[in-house]
Amino acid sequence: MASADVETVDFDFQEDDLMDEEGAADAEPSASPRAPQPKLKSAITGVGASASPAAPKKTKGRGFREDLNPDRNNRLAASDFDSLNSSDGLEPQRSVEGWIILVTGVHEEAQEDHLHNAFGEFGEIKNLHLNLDRRTGFVKGYALIEYESFEEAQAAISGMNEAALLTQILNVDWAFSNGSFLDGSRKKTTRPLRERRSRSPPRRRY
Amino acid sequence: MAGEEENSEFYLRYYVGHKGKFGHEFLEFEFRPDGKLRYANNSNYKNDTIIRKEVYVTPAVVRECRRIISESEILKEDDVNWPEPDRVGRQELEIVMGNEHISFTTSKIGSLVDVQSSKDPEGLRIFYYLVQDLKCFVFSLISLHFKIKPI
Repeated sequence: MASADVETVDFDFQEDDLMDEEGAADAEPSASPRAPQPKLKSAITGVGASASPAAPKKTKGRGFREDLNPDRNNRLAASDFDSLNSSDGLEPQRSVEGWIILVTGVHEEAQEDHLHNAFGEFGEIKNLHLNLDRRTGFVKGYALIEYESFEEAQAAISGMNEAALLTQILNVDWAFSNGSFLDGSRKKTTRPLRERRSRSPPRRRY
Repeated sequence: MAGEEENSEFYLRYYVGHKGKFGHEFLEFEFRPDGKLRYANNSNYKNDTIIRKEVYVTPAVVRECRRIISESEILKEDDVNWPEPDRVGRQELEIVMGNEHISFTTSKIGSLVDVQSSKDPEGLRIFYYLVQDLKCFVFSLISLHFKIKPI
């Protein structure tokens, strides 16, 4: 949680200025940008992220001023989200076709070959995403790798976490968990991962 | 960005959408403080239906997400001079990190030309690239996990 000595909330109500922007005048009255908009607040603000009475946050943005409509449609509030599984948390979660690991600390000039060479020795890489920074065109700094089996993914994590690739130290971990990391830290120490893992593949949901 | 120590609170939500002849078409995702990643994509085009997916990510994923955000320095920006949401569409970016909470809105940004011609090209450019980097990260996570192609 943040320290208590936060600055005061810096709302500035300058609605008039905002409306004077060029372009605002072009809008037809019936399609006013201030007409019925999707509402800003997410499904969880109010109970989740911003429900932190302890420390007032420094807030910034029009979103705080616009959200005056109580009957917002909570696009993410629905309960019919698809998920593959869920249970008590802190076990890696199998994905539809395999096990996904996250590699961070990837050098910006790394290429897929570098990762294939380093991670291919733990098993066949079914999928590799090495995403680029949209501004610079260099590697963003992470990679996602899919292995077919838990054992391969686990071996890659054990073998490559804190290993160096192109002079940078990698961090390698599971990408998905079968529950929240907020409430499972006790369980993790009591039973090792491997003993709790089900070998049966999850149902396919689509 | 100072003051965003590893274990402090984190929340991220991004929305882009518009209302048109195919109804309310939008894409939205959020990382909740407990590690739940939710993704929703609605288009009525060709009778598409809404896609909703959710999965818990590990702290490592959240950490990488925080890194991407904090290196962008978006928290230093302000949407006060950005184009307002309009009929063409709106974008919303809400982030809670450390003791900062931003909730920015703007119109859709077609290209860097829109960024350049705005009143705050520097700030809007940061937003523009950050959103793409975040979408890229989330799409990879969702598509690898569920084997769907987002959008």
